[in-house]
Amino acid sequence: MGFLTPVLLGGIALIALPIALHLVMRRQPQKLEFPALQFVRKRRAANRRRFNLRHLLLLALRCALIAGLAVALARPTIKGSGLRGKEGAPLAVALVIDNSVRMQYVFQNQTRQQKAKEMAQWLVDQLPEDAQVAVVDRSRAATGFVVDLGTAESRVRNLAVENNPRPLENAVHEAIRLVAEQEDHRQEVFLFSDLSVESLDEAALEAIQMAMAEAPDVRLYLVDVGVEEVSNRALQPLELSGSVLRPGQPLRVEVPAEITGLAEAPLVEIYLQGADGKPIKRGQQILEVSAEGSGRAVFELGDLPIGTHQGLVKFSATDALEADNARYFTVEVRPTAKVLLLGERKSDALFLREALSPSLIANRADVRFQCVTETVAKAASIDLEGYDAVCLLDPPPLSEGLWQSLTEYVEHGGGVGVFLGHRARLSNFNGEAAQRLLPGRLLRKSRHATYLRPQQLDHPVLTGLRNYAEQIPWQLYPVLQYWEFGDWTGDAYVVARFADNKAALIERPVGRGRVVTFATAVSDRLEIENREPWNLLPTGPEPWPFVALSNQLVGYLAQSESEPLDFYAGETVSLRLAPRHQISSFVLHQPNGESLRRSLPPGEDTIQISTTQQLGNYRVASGGESRLLDRGFSVNVSPAMSQLTRVAPEVLAEALQSEQVKLASSLDDVERYVDIGRTGQGLFSWAIMLVAIVWGAEHLLGNRFYREAS
Amino acid sequence: MTAVEQYLKPEIIRQIARLDLRAQFIVKGFLQGLHASPFHGFSVEFSEHRKYTAGDNPDDIDWLVYAKTDKYYVKKFEAETNLTGYLVMDLSASMGYSHKQELTKFEYSICLAAALCYLMIHQNDPVGLITFGEKIVDSLAPKSKRQQIGNILSMLAKLKPQSKTNIGQSLNQLAAMLKHSSLVMLFSDLLADPDEVIASLRRLRHGGHDVILFHVLDQAEVDFPFEGLVELHDPESNETLEVDADAYRSEYLEEIGKFRLRYERECRQIGIDYVPLDTSMQFDRALTEYLVNRRNWG
Repeated sequence: MGFLTPVLLGGIALIALPIALHLVMRRQPQKLEFPALQFVRKRRAANRRRFNLRHLLLLALRCALIAGLAVALARPTIKGSGLRGKEGAPLAVALVIDNSVRMQYVFQNQTRQQKAKEMAQWLVDQLPEDAQVAVVDRSRAATGFVVDLGTAESRVRNLAVENNPRPLENAVHEAIRLVAEQEDHRQEVFLFSDLSVESLDEAALEAIQMAMAEAPDVRLYLVDVGVEEVSNRALQPLELSGSVLRPGQPLRVEVPAEITGLAEAPLVEIYLQGADGKPIKRGQQILEVSAEGSGRAVFELGDLPIGTHQGLVKFSATDALEADNARYFTVEVRPTAKVLLLGERKSDALFLREALSPSLIANRADVRFQCVTETVAKAASIDLEGYDAVCLLDPPPLSEGLWQSLTEYVEHGGGVGVFLGHRARLSNFNGEAAQRLLPGRLLRKSRHATYLRPQQLDHPVLTGLRNYAEQIPWQLYPVLQYWEFGDWTGDAYVVARFADNKAALIERPVGRGRVVTFATAVSDRLEIENREPWNLLPTGPEPWPFVALSNQLVGYLAQSESEPLDFYAGETVSLRLAPRHQISSFVLHQPNGESLRRSLPPGEDTIQISTTQQLGNYRVASGGESRLLDRGFSVNVSPAMSQLTRVAPEVLAEALQSEQVKLASSLDDVERYVDIGRTGQGLFSWAIMLVAIVWGAEHLLGNRFYREAS
Repeated sequence: MTAVEQYLKPEIIRQIARLDLRAQFIVKGFLQGLHASPFHGFSVEFSEHRKYTAGDNPDDIDWLVYAKTDKYYVKKFEAETNLTGYLVMDLSASMGYSHKQELTKFEYSICLAAALCYLMIHQNDPVGLITFGEKIVDSLAPKSKRQQIGNILSMLAKLKPQSKTNIGQSLNQLAAMLKHSSLVMLFSDLLADPDEVIASLRRLRHGGHDVILFHVLDQAEVDFPFEGLVELHDPESNETLEVDADAYRSEYLEEIGKFRLRYERECRQIGIDYVPLDTSMQFDRALTEYLVNRRNWG
């Protein structure tokens, strides 16, 4: 409680006046004849007491009237902020505006962000000239106090949508830290949020609460710009049959969707970019929506030629939140990889060839690998450059020339797989020529029966097994013999191990290519004369793990494994360059039509792109008309941005029960809090009303008391 | 209200100076308002026939005379019993009080007494007058002759409220004075110790007298219309009290209500007609009360 003009409180001394009058001047009663005095006399004592009481009451009312008037004129205010000892100090204000995509939700012809900006601008207008203002949003960039209010206002006005917002609590924390540094200022943080669960989950609330606890002088005003009853149609991330397809392989697009608060079944359309870059509608479906509000549409696109294809799936109708009405996708159709399978005999390649390119479907166009089987003896005459990968199946000692040509092949970007078996000889394989390719020196053949037991499935060779990791019965496919290695050469590392922890699968990058060595052979039949088979991986019961592993491994060697081409906004995109794509620069075509030219360091085999704020399809091209490089990727909004559920008020109240935090849902609330927080709430109107009531009571009582005899 | 009936209002009667005219006007006004004929007697002895007039009780029509003359005649009765009436006036100073009323309690009582005297003489009932203060001051022996009206009225006209009062003692004195059963019509404001008064009323009643107690109060004494701070002065005891009238009104009304209720209850118990009056009331109330009483007597 404080007073704007405390000197006027001196007027309270005037209450001496009615007291003096009361003591000195007593009004004479009206004199009347009245014979029936005996009835009056009976209750006179009680009446007299009441009479005196009323007299005193009247006196008290008059004193209260004068004192109340003095207090009212002194302009009392309530100081509600509790900003200790900082009344009159300049302000340090941070405006935290949630500018995530979700704030684009339109309600009453206004996005939530527009409403937040409008309120924030109003707030800036209210601030005194000497206030320090910071505008913090959910973009990654750190901010500080702006120069003046005009800059603050223009920053609020120009706030852009953030497709990849950082956690809201980080922004709030930054704002709190920023204002808390201004120790001699009054410290206020205004958070404009739609109070969605995504932005203010339990962890976020806890983090905010902790940040507030660290800065006890900071006041946080939580301004609710959200909508209670929401309606939205949201497309969830698309499920594609693969990001890399073979020629002739159809693209299957599954479109999950979540519908909230809208009854009608929406129409979903799929578009594919044509050669001229314009989208062509390739299909549409009415989405069947379940009672829970979820639905799924499935499209199948065939006849995709070799190359990069981009498109989008979207709702034909619009809704309040536009950002999640469309999802973009990119797929690449790559030519079939040519794989050379070399063994001492052609039959050595049987298992691997069947695993890679089953003879039943070998003639189909959409087969992934095109396998060519040759004997090692003829290998020297083969031009390896025509193949994407070469597999040596239980190779016998090779000529130095063949080792040399294999090494050159790998250095130029080829992939070589070595499946060591009983034909390997230490003298040849530990020779200088072989060691330029192999991961290390061979030590001995181990006859210790074991089985393959890959632990970490994050290597590209193993990622395809990840979904079935628990179900693969590796024990059913025992490995009876394998090669043990000595120290690893160069960059070689173990990709997978046997159950006895010996290396099973070793990769060694050489030049721009890769060499993967498997410590046991995959060419042994179940029954062989004179010796035991090295393992039962291809010959065990239903050897599907072998098929899967072979496909992954050879795909990796041929560098034709699929890679993700669908990203969320803000993620760093990395695109592997095929060995033949030796480029020094590329052009990034962004969804908004702008193009960026980027250079690439020599020898770099991956393009890293971090400017992925915009939603849509990106294109990476190089080589001009020749289209040496023509790749693409899609950037979509995170599904979390479609979560419009709001934090329950009781959760919010419980989490932020500190005196430091106030919740406001309208400008009026903000105004009230700001007024109370800064200069206190003016009580003049209340005080003067009280005075009027006292005056009325005094008048009434006085009139009754001193009524003139008429 | 007809022209005559308005004479029942105290404010009209006040404009008439002569008491005999006042009495006549009141009685005329009163009779006009009655539906039953006032000339119907209360005695049982047949005296003569007279022509039936509207308002007469049809029961009294003599059908034998009708059979003979084909005209309606009613039987007239001669008073056989002598109902001796005493008008007893309280002369206390408090009776002279009036707060904004046309008539003081005393004047009101006198008008009423005169009217009653007039009525009684017309009934051939003997009427006397007794006045008292602290004791009986003056008395006029009851007579039924016409001159008695003049005597009583002239005496009433001369009366002035003057002294202190002792109702109880005066009534005791009266009870001792009256030899025969009489109708005592007492006009007083009863502003004295009620125990004493009631005791003497009992005694009076015990002596075989019928009593009509006209309790005359000023309207101000009934309503306590004062406002604000007032200093009240009792003319009789010269006592003064300062009270806040607004706050006190409800308590006063309660007290005066209790006072009147007590008299009403006690009077009913001992067979006295208690007529609470105030000076703003019309006279017919009091006169009706007399007539009812008189009929019962008859």
